[in-house]
Formats: sequence, C-alpha cells, structure tokens
Amino acid sequence: MMDEWTSNIMQNDPMRMYRAKRDTSHQSVSSKYSILGFISSGTYGRVYKAQSLGEDAKIHAIKKFKPDKEGDVVTYTGISQSAIREIALNREIDHENIVALKEVILEDKSIYMVFEFAEHDFLQVIQHHATTLRNAITQPVLKSLIYQLFNGLLYLHSCHILHRDLKPANILINAAGVVKIGDLGLARLIYQPLQPLFAGDKVVVTIWYRAPELLMGAKHYNKAIDCWAVGCVMAELASLRPIFKGEEAKLDSKKNVPFQRDQLLKIFEVLGTPDEQDWPGVKDMIEYQAMKRLDPYTNRLYECRLTAKEALQHKWFHEEPYPTWNAFQAAPQQIPPQRRITQDEAPSMVPLPAAPFNSHTQSKPGSSASLSGGGGNGGNGRKKARMG
Amino acid sequence: MATDFWSSSHYKRWIVDRATLRQARADDLLYIDDAEHLDFLAIYFAEIIGKLGKKMQIPQRVIATATVFFRRFYLKNSYCETDPFMVIAACIYVAAKAEEFPVHIKHLVSDARHIFSQQYGVKNFPSDNSKLAEMEFYLVDDLECDLTVFHPYRTLLALCKSDASDDSSTPNEEEAGELGVGITADDGPRYWGTGEGQLELPPNGLQTAWFIVNDTYRSELCLLYPPHLIAIAAIYLTCIFHPATQETVSALLAASGSEERDREPPVQQPRRSSRQAAERKKPAQDPLAFLAELNVSLPLIATIAQEIIAMYTLWERYKEDGSADSGSTPDSRGGDDEAGSIVTVAQLTSVLLKMREARLQDIAHPSGGRPAAVNKMLERTQAAG
Ligand SMILES: Nc1ncnc2c1ncn2[C@@H]1O[C@H](COP(=O)(O)OP(=O)(O)OP(=O)(O)O)[C@@H](O)[C@H]1O
Ligand SMILES: [Mg+2]
Repeated sequence: MMDEWTSNIMQNDPMRMYRAKRDTSHQSVSSKYSILGFISSGTYGRVYKAQSLGEDAKIHAIKKFKPDKEGDVVTYTGISQSAIREIALNREIDHENIVALKEVILEDKSIYMVFEFAEHDFLQVIQHHATTLRNAITQPVLKSLIYQLFNGLLYLHSCHILHRDLKPANILINAAGVVKIGDLGLARLIYQPLQPLFAGDKVVVTIWYRAPELLMGAKHYNKAIDCWAVGCVMAELASLRPIFKGEEAKLDSKKNVPFQRDQLLKIFEVLGTPDEQDWPGVKDMIEYQAMKRLDPYTNRLYECRLTAKEALQHKWFHEEPYPTWNAFQAAPQQIPPQRRITQDEAPSMVPLPAAPFNSHTQSKPGSSASLSGGGGNGGNGRKKARMG
Repeated sequence: MATDFWSSSHYKRWIVDRATLRQARADDLLYIDDAEHLDFLAIYFAEIIGKLGKKMQIPQRVIATATVFFRRFYLKNSYCETDPFMVIAACIYVAAKAEEFPVHIKHLVSDARHIFSQQYGVKNFPSDNSKLAEMEFYLVDDLECDLTVFHPYRTLLALCKSDASDDSSTPNEEEAGELGVGITADDGPRYWGTGEGQLELPPNGLQTAWFIVNDTYRSELCLLYPPHLIAIAAIYLTCIFHPATQETVSALLAASGSEERDREPPVQQPRRSSRQAAERKKPAQDPLAFLAELNVSLPLIATIAQEIIAMYTLWERYKEDGSADSGSTPDSRGGDDEAGSIVTVAQLTSVLLKMREARLQDIAHPSGGRPAAVNKMLERTQAAG
C-alpha cells in the first residue's frame, strides 16, 4: 500500500521532510550581512569584518570556524569541541567587558559566529607604542585597561568559567575604549566537571602566558592560571615586551606533552625557583623533578597570586589616576590605528552556490595573523599550542 | 551562570507551560490512534537514550542533558516528520561535547546501530558518520545554541548530606573534590532559596532521591519546571517512599511535639566531613520541616511529586518485550484497549513507523484535502531528492 516514494524515504532518508522544512526557513549569512573584508585567521577560524544589512547597519566581526581535520584530510566529524564551547558559553554570559555574541548562523556545514566588532586589541596597543609612538603606555590608560580586564575576568570566574587563553591578541578594545575579552574557544565551565580538566585538553594557554603549575604538569589547576596570564599581560603592557618570552618545546611524534624547560627558566630567572616551602604541593607536580634541576632561586609563586576580585580591590585602582571606562580618555593620541582588513587573503567567505563546501577553507598553516607583523616578536609564543 | 539559574538560557527560554507542550504534539495527534501512546513514547525515548548512553559508558549527567536536548527539539518538531532515532544519536553527540565528555562519532554510530537494531528493530540507522554530523548541525540550530543545561542533581548535592554510600551510581564527591581548591569550595550562595544547612537523609536516602531524579527524565517534567523544584520533589518523594525516611518522618509525627519545629539550627559543615558526620549520632531532623523552610512553594512541589507518581504509574505498564524484531505482529498484544493494559516496546516502534508513513503519504497525495503548505513542502522535498 506504501508507494515507492514513501517507502524510499522511510527507508533511506527519514529526515528529508525535516531538512526541507528547515532549509526553506533558513536565513543565510549573505542575506543578513555584507562582508567588508578579512581580519585574521586563528587556530580555529577565520574572522571577517561585516556590516549588517538590516536597519542598524552595524559593524560586526564574523568568525567562521574551520572544519575539523584529521591529518590533512577534511573529515567531517561534526562541530568541534572548541566551537561548542565558544557557542555554549557565549549564549549564557553577558558582560560589558566580554565580547558579545550577537547570533550564530549554521549554514552549509559551516558555523558563523557573529560578534560585536572591536576596533582594537591589546597586541595592537603594545605594538603601536613599541614601534610607532616609541614611548610607554601612560598610567591612566594602563590602569584602565587592566582594571577592565580584571573586571571581565571576575565575571567569567564568578560564572565558573576559566578562559585558559588570555593573551594580548585575545583581549580586544572597542572604538569607545572599552575592554572586551574575546576568544572563548579554549574556555570551559569548571563547575562539577565530569572528568579532571587535564583529561580534556592536554595543553592550555599560549606558552608565554602559561602559569608555572601548568608548565610543571599539574593535573589540577584553577582560576589562578588566568590570573597568571593577566599578570603577564600587565607586565607586557608596562614594558612593551613579553615578560617571559620562552622557546616552546614541540610535541614529540607521539604527541606527548614535552617539558617546557625554557619557558620555566625564563620565569625563574625573574622570580626565582620555588621550593616546597614557598609553594606547598609543588612536589606533586609531574615535572617538579625536572624543574629542580634548573637554577635555584627563592621566591613565592602561587599562594600569593591575587584573585580577580582581590586585584580589583587593590589600592592601585582606588587612587589617582582612577581607571576610566574609555581607557583612552586621558590620552586619545595613544589610540592605535584601526584594525586592518584585507580583501585578497579572503576568498569569498560564503561559498558560491555551486561550489562544493569548504573547498576554500583550507588556509595554509602559515597564512595567519596579519597582526603579527611589526612587533618583531620572532618567537612563536603568541600562537597557542593546541592539540587533541 | 553556573551558579545563577535565573539568568540562564535554561530558565529564560526553555521552561514552557502545558499548553506549549500540547501544541508541540498537535501534528502527532493527527496520526496516532491512542493519545496515551504519546506519553508512552516519552518513556520509550528516554529509555533508548539511557540504553545508548550506558552502552557508550557516559555519565548520567550527559544522558540527562541529551534527554533534555531531545525534549527541547520536539517542542519544535513532530515525531511523524522526523526520525527520532537519528535525533537521539545527535542529542547524545552534542550533549557529550556540551558536558565536556566528548565521544567519538565512530563509536557512537556503531553503538547506535547496534542498540537500535538489536533492541528496537530499527535497522536503517546510517553507517555513514556524516549523516549524524549533519543532524548535529540542525539540532544545534533548533536548540538555538543553548547548550548549558541545569539538572536537579546539583540541588540534591547542595541540599542533602551525602550518605557516603559507595554505590558508583550516586555522585562521587571525591571525583569533583579531587580537582583541587577553588572548584567545589566556592559554589556561592544557593540560588534557589534561603534554607540553611543540609538535610540529613537516612542511609541510601540520597541515592533514592538520585534515582527518582533519573526517572523524571522519562517524562517531560524537565521542560515544565526548574530543576531545583524537581530535586525537592524527589526528596519529598524519598521521604514518603523510602522506608527508613518514612520511619523517621512517622516517628517525628507521632512524637508530634511542636517544639520539633524550632530544633537547633543544623551545624554548617564542610562537605568533606560528611563521613564523620554520619558516624556521629544523628540529631532527629524532620525532613518535611526542612523542605518547608526552603523558599519554594510546597503546593507546587506536591504537584510535581504527583506528576512523578503519574509517570511511575504509566511506566508500570511499559514493557520491554525482548523481541528485537519489529516485524513480529506487535498489535497482537495491544488488542484489548482497557485502561491499564500493557504497552510494549515493539508496539511503540510500530506506532512510530505508522505515524511517519501516514504523514509521508499525506504529503505525497495532498488531494486528501491537506492544506496548501503541504504541497509547497512536497515540492521542496522532491526537489531535494
Ligand atoms: N569581535 C571582534 N572584533 C574585531 N576583531 C576580532 C573580533 N574577534 C576576533 N577578532 C580578531 O580575530 C582574531 C582571531 O579571533 P579569535 O581569537 O576569536 O580566533 P581563534 O581562531 O581562536 O584565534 P587564535 O587561535 O589566534 O587565538 C583576534 O585575535 C582578533 O584580531
Ligand atoms: Mg585568539
């Protein structure tokens, strides 16, 4: 009694009706935004500057996720863990110092996250001062940037979210001078985790900003790793150079996590080597024995690290010059130039109707970061080492 | 957010009323003979998610999240226009990522194929990973990217002292505590009320409440009520059903001293000391009075408890029939329509298939006076062919 069409669908493609319905009502990226240019390519995605075609004509940053790859072959295994995190966390949070997610568009096997646009970032500010202005960031600006950064971080931490990738390139500033923490691609909820944090990601935080407990292979870590990174960012804003500019040891062929000897050395050169007395529990960290072979100094590293909340209460923020919401209020001449966008590096973001999906998304590994020029920061410490 | 349910997407967008639930099943009702079967299907789907989850060895919380995703998906879609088995697999796939317990798509596909065909006679689940990946996409879209789900387990743990039972299916505090300082110690104030201290349930009481919470996912309660209320209803039912708790309660009621009410305030204790606490002689704590002190509506708790009981009543009549083959005349058992009759898994599987088939035929032959919208969809479907 069942006709052929019906039985064919029943057997081979029972979701066909559903898809047809969904596809009919879908509003495409290109129907809602016009792409103004390409901003940057990171580990997980390519970021574009776009203008809303709606009434408000607002400017946005659209992050298009690359599909997961296994080796060199694009195997479509679904949405990456990183994209799920960034989407899931962004849908729950709302704070003036965190980049706001406007919407997510899922289209042709690609994910487009539409964010509020931020004209600048900390890396730009540092490079602008280091190479163009050739002077230090003044205190009112410095204090405002750091205050707002802690303010955003406190919000994340009070939501039980670890950012796990704080670094100058991921801390943005909008045209009004307001700090916006971005890139939650490595962030995660730590509320009652089902498995230890290190089980999910063997390597977190870009090497120069990675806390010593992570470098020493601690299995357990917490909010303090973000505070360490902020400390490094602060020092970098103040001196215009990364404070701990170590050489990253590469993963071996079996993808074992290497001991980051050089990075730890750079830290201990400045702070001294901790011992059991300075840092109870340090002995239990996997790499402690390896660390002990490094130069011994004495200092304290962990117990005395401030939390975001304590930092905000620090008297530095409560004396003149006070931090301002427009971080550049006192010194408009310090505003770095606008974000550069390029046309050539960006083949059309949205696939042409006939083109097979993702044929254009395989950006060459080296083609990233138009931002990395200028700073002369030779090393690769700004790029994260992510795996698995 | 992790502590603040009231500002979560769960609370703001995914707690709905009964009318919305009814509306969501309106199309399905057109294609089903016995409306009660829709309630049985709710159990049936939860069972399948649980079975597949167990086979994959994923924790209960992931299974619970997958079930919530499944229910949310069917707030917007119909059983008769989709393949719930595909949706189930996609829900588990996304939930595992959302709960930071990712599973490999290959394993999921092969386990799904195994369970679906062996136990439900569904043999057409695609072996091609990309079909599941494609469904994941549509699913996340239909979920509006809201992937953080709150569960009653959290409230149970906050409210009840662990009875330190070594059963692996109850939460293992060490598991979380092991993760180091600052992770469990700073939960902040409880978000659901002003009750202080913790309820001391008799041995295995927490486990009973935990199991009741597991069972609530067989209904659509997770769409209707905030999770903390479901947790409190589960504790309430534990007090009523659990023999040991019942004893405590009735002993207290018998003693009926009204001075029971202003008993000494419970001592605030860090969680890790619960084991010592259990060894001390327990003060007689009245669980019902404890619940009454919480800042929640007790009549509402009673309503939820009633709905849980209704689910159990229905579940009594739900039978796994062991026969894997859906071809084996499932209708033979459902012949008598009197209330209280048994409904089998095979029967429900065939109900589902019939619904979908009837719906498809309506679309293929719109002459039957179907609205024009169906014609339009038919064009799309055939074009997509
Ligand atoms: N909202 C925004 N407004 C303007 N530019 C942005 C915005 N979001 C991101 N960008 C730019 O795109 C870059 C990459 O974005 P993001 O860090 O989110 O991606 P990613 O793939 O995780 O990168 P990476 O691996 O380099 O950290 C940023 O460093 C910044 O230069
Ligand atoms: Mg980044």
